[in-house]
Amino acid sequence: MGHSKLRALLCASALSALGGGAVAGEFDGITLQAKLIGGQQYEALYARIAEWEAETGAQVEILSKKNHFELDKEFKSDIAAGTLGWCVGSNHSSFASQYPSLYTDLTPYLSAEFIEAYVPSNIAASKIGDALVMLPRAQFDVSVLYYLKSIYEDPERQAAYKAETGRDLAPPDTWEEYKAQAIFFTDAPNFYGTQYAGKDEAIVGRYYEMVIAEGGQLFNEDWSPAFNSDAGKRALSWFVDLYQAGAVPPGTTSYLWDDLGQGFASGTIALNLDWPGWAGFFNGEDTSKAAGDVGVIVQPQGSAGIRTGWSGHHGFSVTESCEHKEAAASLVAWLTNEESQKLESAGGSLPTRTAVWDHVLEAAKSDPFRAEAIAAFQEGSEHAFPAPQTPYWIEATNLIYPELQAAILGDKSVEEALADAAKAVDEMMQENGVY
Amino acid sequence: MTRPRLPAWFVLLLPAFIVLAAVVLIPLLLSLYSSFTSYRLTRPETLYNWIGTFNYEKAVQSAHFWSAFGRTVLLLTIALNLEMLLGLGLALLVNQVTYGQRLLRTIMMFPMMFSPLLVGFQFKFIFNDNVGLVNNALQSLGLTNVAIPWLVDGQLAFISILVAEMWSSTSVFAILILAGLFAVPRDPIEAAKVDGCTPWQSFRHITLPYIMPFIYIALAIRSLDVARAYDIVQIMTNGGPARRTELIWTLIGRTGYVDAKMGYANAMGYISIFLAIAFTIYFFRKLNAARAELGMGG
Amino acid sequence: MNDARLHRLRARSLKLLQLAALFIAMSIICLPGLWVVLNSFRPTVEIMAKPPVWIPQELNLDHYRAMFGDLGEGGVPVMRYFTNSLIISVTSTVIAILVGMAGGYAFARYQFKGKAAIFIGLMLTRAVPGVALSLPLFIVMARTGLIDTHIGLILVYVSLNVPFTIWLIDGFFRQVPVELAEAAEIDGCTRWQAFWKVEFPVARAGVASAGIFAFLTSWNEYALASQLTRSTFSKTMPVGLRDFTSEFTINWGGMCALAVLMIIPALILTFLVQKHLIAGLTFGGVKG
Repeated sequence: MGHSKLRALLCASALSALGGGAVAGEFDGITLQAKLIGGQQYEALYARIAEWEAETGAQVEILSKKNHFELDKEFKSDIAAGTLGWCVGSNHSSFASQYPSLYTDLTPYLSAEFIEAYVPSNIAASKIGDALVMLPRAQFDVSVLYYLKSIYEDPERQAAYKAETGRDLAPPDTWEEYKAQAIFFTDAPNFYGTQYAGKDEAIVGRYYEMVIAEGGQLFNEDWSPAFNSDAGKRALSWFVDLYQAGAVPPGTTSYLWDDLGQGFASGTIALNLDWPGWAGFFNGEDTSKAAGDVGVIVQPQGSAGIRTGWSGHHGFSVTESCEHKEAAASLVAWLTNEESQKLESAGGSLPTRTAVWDHVLEAAKSDPFRAEAIAAFQEGSEHAFPAPQTPYWIEATNLIYPELQAAILGDKSVEEALADAAKAVDEMMQENGVY
Repeated sequence: MTRPRLPAWFVLLLPAFIVLAAVVLIPLLLSLYSSFTSYRLTRPETLYNWIGTFNYEKAVQSAHFWSAFGRTVLLLTIALNLEMLLGLGLALLVNQVTYGQRLLRTIMMFPMMFSPLLVGFQFKFIFNDNVGLVNNALQSLGLTNVAIPWLVDGQLAFISILVAEMWSSTSVFAILILAGLFAVPRDPIEAAKVDGCTPWQSFRHITLPYIMPFIYIALAIRSLDVARAYDIVQIMTNGGPARRTELIWTLIGRTGYVDAKMGYANAMGYISIFLAIAFTIYFFRKLNAARAELGMGG
Repeated sequence: MNDARLHRLRARSLKLLQLAALFIAMSIICLPGLWVVLNSFRPTVEIMAKPPVWIPQELNLDHYRAMFGDLGEGGVPVMRYFTNSLIISVTSTVIAILVGMAGGYAFARYQFKGKAAIFIGLMLTRAVPGVALSLPLFIVMARTGLIDTHIGLILVYVSLNVPFTIWLIDGFFRQVPVELAEAAEIDGCTRWQAFWKVEFPVARAGVASAGIFAFLTSWNEYALASQLTRSTFSKTMPVGLRDFTSEFTINWGGMCALAVLMIIPALILTFLVQKHLIAGLTFGGVKG
């Protein structure tokens, strides 16, 4: 290959990736290996890979499709064994900081305008230091409040609630009110006021956002634990109180997202803080008994006047060891460009590009439920904040969640549990040489 | 020039040695080495960071480790004993049947067709407190009107796991013990009947000694295999909630893969291997003693 | 007369009791399994319904149709998984039996120093928990390029199964009198011929029982396969079950459908060889 030809090729490739578009035949003969997140709601986008292949002449070979927890294991094994021949990987903002050396900085391969078209807070959460390690796809997650409308429209309940508390019965705007209502609605074992994810990383995420809403912090500036505070105790007490009052299903500490989703869809849960991906499922005739009865509003606020908003987003990354970084960057840009995000958000997920937000709001106008949901999520995402950006986040959650569960189940007091968790996290951070 | 020939037994065993060395021994040496380092999966260079016995000291001093260890021994002991008794009962029942036994034996082995992964999911749904099969059945039958938190309550979660584990493994005992029952000679039993022995006496003094070797074989096989319960527990409870069902394997799996602390995980792994070895050698001893009693030691 | 009737009555009620116990035991064994089979034909809403739907309202093949459907519509490369599983399980079983026969023969026919220790040592290789073995094994395999290949997984399953195979087959060769083989040799057979003509036929049942155990182990193994397989090129069916778990949800009905496809071949095989299986285990146990 002559020099001029090579230069022309480089030029073309730089151009195409810069704008998230594709130039015909520019990557002829290149095969990119990819490890992507699997699951119904993520699949629709992958159909567009074929279009990109046709345009650029490159081939994409999908090596594995798994959920993020399994992918995470696989990435870690790959780093350990040095099997890093693949180029493109699904990434998640809550996991990304664990592998600081795995993925390359995408900034050199993209134009500034292209990057600016993403929602700035999503881009900020896609960076490790200054390196842009992933491009966000239209899978932004923040939780808002889903509730059963019929409960609030029931005159008997309205009267009883007024008599009991002196307040009108309306979807709650504070977590305190939420707790009172959840306890009020409960009619165990057939009907529960609410439920929460009580397992693994999920309970720590929920606790984390509650600590923030109560005006506290999970970590100090130097990453030493800060949650053994009054705000931290108030936050944990919220979970403990609901459990002890029997207002959540007794199995809630074994629940993860699928259990919660199935639970609310079974129509036996009144209030449910949950992710955008469920909106369609909850209101679908085939999938949910609550269909037609689902209301969606912005998530409540804590005593500090701050709304919860633990958030994360999915994205795509390119490995540092990839041989064809231009081609890979072009692919991930293509999968997260405006067209792709429009396609993906049509399935109900939230976009991460400003222009697509407008498009989604416009498109939802004809469907009242969709419009209600998207409005709630738009408001909710204004209060969003990402998981703590430390490589030891997941490890910290593994130390914290058993203690939170112990408090919820009554094995330990709130004070003991938080003191033990803080001690364990402190030791872990020190052992890892963080401070 | 004559080369000293390798002994025939060695040549015959060579393939087994090679395969086992490649798949088990070399990886184990690697993990033994890494248990003396601060190896983190996400930072490959830490493999060369020798920290002596730090990981072992940490494991030995960790209350979580020992409670997981104790719980694992407890689970193993209860599960193996119950499986053995139930398997014996099942084998005796099936042995009585003359017609359709072939079908019964196949049904008896039905749970062995289920991958442990599947068993985990299956029993997770069966014991779900809200929409699970067990609670639904109990509530529909009017036996209870509360949702029993099978996978949460300290005792119940342990029992649920035990049930799942027993469901998937009792078959192994039943099939081996049934094989043992087939080996029991008929004559002594007939003779005992004539002599006026009760069925219990002839079972105790004739049948049982004959099937003891089979019971110990089953116990030895199961104790070798028992870490398969990892898949089941990992999916059903992942050791939670509040470490109530934490087993040594779930602890190792989480430490190694999720926390990425492979060095520490391998140190705990080594301690758990000694546990498995102790159980197995114990049953081998018993097996040889039982065989010796039958005059078939060897 | 009266006494005899009483006796008969007792015998009959005992028999009845036995049958009842057998029925209950078989139900407990079957129900959780049949529940899985049933769920593969039911819509997910109905499985997860509250209050429960006891009598299936709707049975259909949707989960199967979806599974064989296109990627993106819930399709899973079932046929690839099935072929991978079949190739890997069958090959590893055959190799494990050959290796096990050689080893079993050595233990049964030769006296050598440290025999008992070597025997126990071989058995103990099986005691290493998969979760402790999986990462170092993964690294070794990655360095040798055996990751994501059939050969890699076959090798692993051979090593998992060899100890037990040796044990069972050893028991069988022991019950063939040495004189028998020697007589055959005197009759002009080579040692090799004598082995196949005299000793092997007796040990056939043992081979069958070792084979079925080895096959089921490989067919259902998950912990190691999930590490060592990376793509559809080598993924086996238990790993494929994971395809039905996505980020937030489990497609339980779909998972059941794949599970049924896994169970059927194993069940058929077991039914076919279980006669040998029992006979095999019977001799193997006592004489070992």
